[in-house]
Amino acid sequence: MAIEQKAGSTFNIPLGPVHVALEEPVYFDLQVEGEIIRGTTLHSGHVHRGMENLAQHRNLIMNQTLTERVCSLCSNSHAFTYAMVVENALGIKVPERAHYLRTLTEEIKRVASHLFTLAIQAHLCGFESLFMHTMEIREIMQDVKESLYGNRMNLAFNCIGGTKFDLDQECFDFLEQSLEKFMPQFREVLDIFETDPLICARIQGTGILPKEEAIRLGVVGPVARGSGLNIDVRKETPYAAYGKVDFDIVTRDGCDLYARTCVRLHEVLESVKIIKQVIRDIPEGETRVHMTHIFPSQAVARSEAPRGEVIYYIRTNSTEIPERLKWRVPSYMNWEALGVMLRNAKVADAALITNTIDPCVSCTER
Amino acid sequence: MQEVIQGNTALINTLAKLCREDGVRHDTDMSGNAQHWFELRSPSLITAAAAALKDTAARLSLISGYSRASQPDAEEAPYAACYHFVLDSVIYNVTVTLTRKEPAVPTITPWFANADWHEREMIELVGITVSNQPNPDRLFLDASLDPGVLNKLVPLSVMMNGACTKDLWEHILTRREGK
Repeated sequence: MAIEQKAGSTFNIPLGPVHVALEEPVYFDLQVEGEIIRGTTLHSGHVHRGMENLAQHRNLIMNQTLTERVCSLCSNSHAFTYAMVVENALGIKVPERAHYLRTLTEEIKRVASHLFTLAIQAHLCGFESLFMHTMEIREIMQDVKESLYGNRMNLAFNCIGGTKFDLDQECFDFLEQSLEKFMPQFREVLDIFETDPLICARIQGTGILPKEEAIRLGVVGPVARGSGLNIDVRKETPYAAYGKVDFDIVTRDGCDLYARTCVRLHEVLESVKIIKQVIRDIPEGETRVHMTHIFPSQAVARSEAPRGEVIYYIRTNSTEIPERLKWRVPSYMNWEALGVMLRNAKVADAALITNTIDPCVSCTER
Repeated sequence: MQEVIQGNTALINTLAKLCREDGVRHDTDMSGNAQHWFELRSPSLITAAAAALKDTAARLSLISGYSRASQPDAEEAPYAACYHFVLDSVIYNVTVTLTRKEPAVPTITPWFANADWHEREMIELVGITVSNQPNPDRLFLDASLDPGVLNKLVPLSVMMNGACTKDLWEHILTRREGK
């Protein structure tokens, strides 16, 4: 790591874009006084892919495949929200069973995504056994994804008008058995994250994002909810089957890493609650209707991805190629919050604080 | 269409006054959630719209800048931007159209700090001019690349299929005609 001395006791430390303490290719210019960070400048653009432009050269069906590749952890949220925005623009009514299947899939992905972030957090705290334990539990959900959908990350389940295939009772039985195996182990890990002195000492009071700053910066997802903001698209504007299942928005007022950790941990419990309700209540019927005609229109669609609100905007014309397809990922709104969280933090905590927004450069740069 | 108009009535009325004739639409998505669409008379009115939205504690969710190249009046009005705000479970979409006479849209960062990245991306990737942007540094692409560079992209798939489809040739013709 090169260190550049600016003036007096102030140093600039470059962190990234390829750095052992960062899982993502982004570059931070940390202005440091002693071991305390006084300012942060973020430079991105290292993996920009121009995906929005590519989307304007592909037809509506091809874009279903493209948008699933915006991100890996929340790949399903992109394919799902993309399908919804097209359905909103063209007035396509999705069958009820597909709404439940989409909800189920989102929550399975959310559990796996949250556990991954929590595992990385344990790793950055130097708690390797907790890291491995969390990843081991996550593997149960990875197995679920592979067994139900045939893939561990990009599930390729959503399509315009519903889902590409149905899930049968055997799939639901396997899912229930997996949850029975998952829950006791997860409760054990939840307890360690919430009460272990090593973890608590490292994350309590670290990476503070006051509520008023969270509002000013428009942050979303667990980052917002960890600063006391009661926002969740699943409740605000219910989509798919979210209006028909019972669950709570998890919030904490601590505004620190600990608060955000608790939000993610308890959101896993809420997701499991939703999954069980879907298995119990899912109606019989078709899982897909076909897109029959394309006409000039515009629409937006939002969903609550594991990292927070995803929003898609589409403009269609009379052709099969969209005139404009634009999306905004949750990380995009949360990066600027790092400037607040890192201010007056220790250099040693920089990677840990960065991880707390569950950053995704792949999403952000598209 | 919404059977009963949902949302903040005072805000809807304020935004409607800034719109062109027939520039207001009250809609719902396929899940029944309310959305409002406003087309402002002039790009400069976005500041008045932003101030009204900020007063009601709305949240800026997205700004979608886009080229109007396929529209019949694209010569006169080449770009537009749609600003998406969320307030109490309702989405307010506010569109401005940039014309040859008014080719720039003012920044809304004084009201919404999180507009910074959206505006910079719009400048950088679409080529839209945002006036008084307080932080107009590059967001993603290297400074040596021209603004709106992605509008000039010929996708690899079009290149690779150049021998068996007419897409590449049509792309070249379009460029030669200066479209």
